Amino acid sequence: MTRLPVPRLFLALAMVLAAIYLFPLYWMYATSLKGQSEIFANPPTFWPRDPDPSIYPETWERRSMGRFLWNSLVIGTGVTALTVLLGTGCAYVLARYRSAWVDLGLFAILMLQVLPASVMITPLYVGFNQLGLLSYPRTAVILAAAGKAIPFYIVLVRATFMNVPRELEEAALVDGNSRWGAFFFIVLPLARNGILVLAILTFMQAFGEYIYAKSIITTQAYQPASVGLSGFLGPNSTDWNGIMAYAAIYVTPIVAIFVILQRRIVAGLTSGALK
Amino acid sequence: MRRILSSVTDGRGFDILLVSITMIFLLALSGMPLVYNVVMSFQEVDMFNLNTFSRPYAGLENYREVVSQPEFGLILKNTAFFVFGSIAGQFVLGFALAMFFMMRFPFAATIRGVFLVSWVMPGLVVGALWGWILAGDFGVLNAILKGIGVIDSTMFWKSDPRLSIWAVTIANIWLGLAFNMMLLSVGLAAIPRDLYEAAELDGANGWHRFTTMTLPMMRSTIGAVLALGLIYTLQQFDLFPAITEGGPANSSNVAQYWAWQYSFLLFDFAKGATVSVMMLGFVLIASIVYVWSTRHEVRG
Repeated sequence: MTRLPVPRLFLALAMVLAAIYLFPLYWMYATSLKGQSEIFANPPTFWPRDPDPSIYPETWERRSMGRFLWNSLVIGTGVTALTVLLGTGCAYVLARYRSAWVDLGLFAILMLQVLPASVMITPLYVGFNQLGLLSYPRTAVILAAAGKAIPFYIVLVRATFMNVPRELEEAALVDGNSRWGAFFFIVLPLARNGILVLAILTFMQAFGEYIYAKSIITTQAYQPASVGLSGFLGPNSTDWNGIMAYAAIYVTPIVAIFVILQRRIVAGLTSGALK
Repeated sequence: MRRILSSVTDGRGFDILLVSITMIFLLALSGMPLVYNVVMSFQEVDMFNLNTFSRPYAGLENYREVVSQPEFGLILKNTAFFVFGSIAGQFVLGFALAMFFMMRFPFAATIRGVFLVSWVMPGLVVGALWGWILAGDFGVLNAILKGIGVIDSTMFWKSDPRLSIWAVTIANIWLGLAFNMMLLSVGLAAIPRDLYEAAELDGANGWHRFTTMTLPMMRSTIGAVLALGLIYTLQQFDLFPAITEGGPANSSNVAQYWAWQYSFLLFDFAKGATVSVMMLGFVLIASIVYVWSTRHEVRG
């Protein structure tokens, strides 16, 4: 846009902006390493005086995080599997054709994408209750959360399929492949990267899902880590280093995956959301 | 029968099968609940008839009762504040950052990508982080603001009724800022650079270039980002239980949390459904704007 005499100055400014923006994340790790008295120091210490990582195993044990994270993993995996299974084929068809029916389908999906979970939870809860699904609370949450995740997944995976050249698929059909064969052996491998990125994003969202799990799962043994955290979090919390240690254990895997796959996730998101 | 089978393996039936399974699933888990929600808002629902389908018809009674609640006006005001405050903050800051990262300097794209980490974090964890940062006596934000001389006295972000809605709005701006910036960057990248060079040669200054070139060419992107902002802000739920629980005295309560409180704290499912239906009106307006702005994309 403009001629830059000192790009390094901009680089420095960008890093300062990123540091300010990511300060909450730093503050989580810093607080978790402080002692019970140091967190209430006034003014606060920006670097823990005496970092004490023993709070991590202690919080893990005391808040039974193993069980909570296992449930988050079950729900995340279930939602991702269901979403990929149901969403991929639908996205493929919606990318392959252009007709009034396809436009209508896309319109319906875009509309479903915008429904707030807090609006859907009341009828879903009452409906699941009537169907007896509440006795299988984790399955109920997986179904509800997948219903929320699929429209978003379809919109973005469809954009990936749009980039697969039609000619390759037609060549495979001419060579005697069936539609299934062409889909599984030609189109899917070519769209692999986009599907993978969106599956990971779906998993991350489901791993942190809160409102459905909080409303549907009342048995503590089946609750995910988000509900576990809400159990000792609120306007009057005082156990802040414990909360921050819990939060750090919970989000570190997600943050790590994001940092490793950052480029691909950003590319996958921006290719389809808007063009 | 054989014709249908061969169509499924090798013809139009294949496409119809793939789409219809998904559509049936979505209809069962999104479409039907949506209708059911509207039905319940016209019924009397209590713990005894929760499991049956035949419930007494209540007419507009639920709506009348919701509107006449003393907190109704306050919650409406808070929802508007939360929605417009969040969108304005996310959009203005996101646009500024997107413009900044469009300039050519090393690692611009990488550093910009790192911002998106806020978007993948669980909402409840973001709420926990901001709940601690905004704490009154020991919060780091108060310490920083005092340090640079912006405030003299401690601000009780979470327990002062005049500030509590600000607490959740600030947290939500942080959460959505990166996503806004990312979408706006995509729009900015689509504007050809030589246009700017030509304008610069013709003597247009930075402000002129922004108002007469950037803004008009970004119109459909801006429409989509604002509509998505409205949609995501009305979807935001996790920050409320984490930071203020809607309090003190509903001063930070918004429609989406109120609906949930009715259903799952007071077990008044009919009122929860009623508040939800009222919210749906706003969501529909936003989604029409959104679909309209993405129509170029939809047609491929």
